[in-house]
Amino acid sequence: MAGSDRVSAIQSESSSLTRILKNAGKRLLLDPTLGVLTMLLLVCLVSVFVLPVFLSSQNLFNLLGSSLTVMILAIGLTVVLISGGIDLSVGTVMALCAGVTAKCLLAGLPLFAAFLVALAVGAAAGVGNGLLVTKLGLPDFIATLAMLGFAGGVLYIWTEGVPIIGYMVPEYFYVGGLTPIVGSITLPMLIALALALVVGGMLGQTRLGTHLFAVGSSRSGAMQSGVNVDRVRIIAYVISGVCAAVAGIVLAGRNTNVPADLGAGYEIQAIAAAVIGGASLNGGRGRVLGAVLGAFTLAATINIINLVGVPSSYQKIVIGLILLVAVVANRVSAVVSARVRLKTAARASGGAVTTITRTKPDLTSSTRAACPSNTSREGTR
Amino acid sequence: MNPRVAVSRALATTGVPMAVALVVVVLVFQMLSPVFLEPNSIRDYINNGIPILLITVGVGIVIVGRGIDLSIGTVAGFSAGTTIWAIGAGLPTILGILVGIGTGVLFGLCNGLLITKLGINDFIVTLATLNIAGGLLIVLNELVSLRGVDAPGLRQLTHGRIFGVPISFFIAAAVIVAMQFLLMNTVFGRRVFAVGIASEAANIAGVNVNRVRLVTFVISGGLAGLAGVLLASRLGSAQAFLGLGYEFIAIAGAVLGGVSLTGGRGSVWAAVVGGLMLATLQQGLRLNGVDPVYFSIVTGLCIVAGVVFDRAAQRLAVGRSPDGNRPPSSSADGQPQQVEALSGRE
Repeated sequence: MAGSDRVSAIQSESSSLTRILKNAGKRLLLDPTLGVLTMLLLVCLVSVFVLPVFLSSQNLFNLLGSSLTVMILAIGLTVVLISGGIDLSVGTVMALCAGVTAKCLLAGLPLFAAFLVALAVGAAAGVGNGLLVTKLGLPDFIATLAMLGFAGGVLYIWTEGVPIIGYMVPEYFYVGGLTPIVGSITLPMLIALALALVVGGMLGQTRLGTHLFAVGSSRSGAMQSGVNVDRVRIIAYVISGVCAAVAGIVLAGRNTNVPADLGAGYEIQAIAAAVIGGASLNGGRGRVLGAVLGAFTLAATINIINLVGVPSSYQKIVIGLILLVAVVANRVSAVVSARVRLKTAARASGGAVTTITRTKPDLTSSTRAACPSNTSREGTR
Repeated sequence: MNPRVAVSRALATTGVPMAVALVVVVLVFQMLSPVFLEPNSIRDYINNGIPILLITVGVGIVIVGRGIDLSIGTVAGFSAGTTIWAIGAGLPTILGILVGIGTGVLFGLCNGLLITKLGINDFIVTLATLNIAGGLLIVLNELVSLRGVDAPGLRQLTHGRIFGVPISFFIAAAVIVAMQFLLMNTVFGRRVFAVGIASEAANIAGVNVNRVRLVTFVISGGLAGLAGVLLASRLGSAQAFLGLGYEFIAIAGAVLGGVSLTGGRGSVWAAVVGGLMLATLQQGLRLNGVDPVYFSIVTGLCIVAGVVFDRAAQRLAVGRSPDGNRPPSSSADGQPQQVEALSGRE
């Protein structure tokens, strides 16, 4: 206890201003969105030197328009990641919903009804994922990998491998973002904004949001506190499925045709966007704003690489590498922030501390082996 | 011994029920299309099925150690590409084969190091390397021509025969026997099971958990490399997207055979039997003119079936409903012992 007395004495000596600054700096450092902001800044800096055309408003709006599909997918995926799961099926579920919308329009349904059917299909896929994961106890990535194959297979059989065309109605050009509403603002941008606000508000302000973070941080802890863990996890997959449906509706309008492999490769982009945005694969950590910025940053990076003249065949490799870098950065920031937080907590009270925070990283056995000093035990001592 | 224990023992010996089912399926397909068991058809079946069977063994070992490797499919494809590229560039066939296997080992090493040293989720690392290997094959295809390479030595691996049986069959058989021995009869194999059942307990017991996990990923990568060499031998080319989706078939095969996705249970035999089941279904559906897309749906269903089966076997073996917790002893030959103990108490 003598040590902690000395620490608190030193702490009281420092002026309040530096403490406030220090706290603000620390909070910024611990913020999950910091990484994505840094990356975005770097991308913009590089572009200023390499290609001034990148920062023209026209290019930025084009970029935003092309990143919206991944953005909407990443928003839904962030919810699943926060709950401690993963959804690999978002890409093909999105494609299936795009196909459903197109087929419904071809069958003569009004636009609104077609959208409702597509949303229902997305929600059903989410329920399917959720039930496989919670009731059958399948590992999340296996269940959603199966759903990936299933949704893709259904679309392929349904379209017989031929792209669906000729479903565009005049109003659909607005929904797809091909016809802007005002200036360069398109409807999908507003849809993505609305979705981000709704999901962000849900995560930050509602009981469901708190439960999602709780389940992701510690499933057994949440269960012992009376949270219906299975229900919360199923809801997370449903949100992801509905977001995939929204993305499918937008993409079908933007693409004006629906090929059978429309969704291929989208899942890894969505995961990369969410992870760049600070969502942790260990659950309990993530932010909708991060996913939005992450999708934009990812699109910007790919855009710059294309503008520099790297052939598009390298795109897969680049996305894979970006995902790896983002995950490594995420891991490092989680470990560092856990150490900082525990140190702060230990310094603040000097006694037994229980820190319950929303961004508490789940130190798995493998990471515990990776960081030799067992920080979690030190903190509670 | 009461019948229930007998049944549970048969179920717990992973692979046995699936082997029975395999025989039934083969007979059904033979009745549907009598060409199914003709020598040509079987040769075709061996050459088509063996690359995926090899990666099934690799991913099976990773899963026993409670990991997952999604990259194996495209790594096999890229290894096929490097093999053909190396031989096309004038290297001797044996070096070309080593380049292919080395490519796989290198990917396995990268996966393993990222997973163990940095503590990143295995499926996200291997999802990234899945894309990187697939992308590298696309790029390699643009840089050099990967078709029509004249390599009679490489071709012999799958098209050459000993007593009418393709050479690839003997390679696969040797690999499977060696891997079964490695997993079930060596200290390393025991450690893989220990890590799969409870990595923390294994750590406390003095097992170098990270090294064991690393080695399982290297094995999986190496087998993917070998699978790629056999693919290159059979096809004589390596087009873009080769191997994409094989990971799913391999995981499904391993799970169907009785390798538990929760780690610590299964054997190489089990993975092989499950993999053979899927290869049989694929061949049978192909011979009956069914669209290959239906096979991917069947594969998805097989994973679910495998998991349901796994749970049922666990329930029977332990004698109570699974409560989400792993039974205390869960290795392949640990389970019958436990049944014995339970029956002794009755």
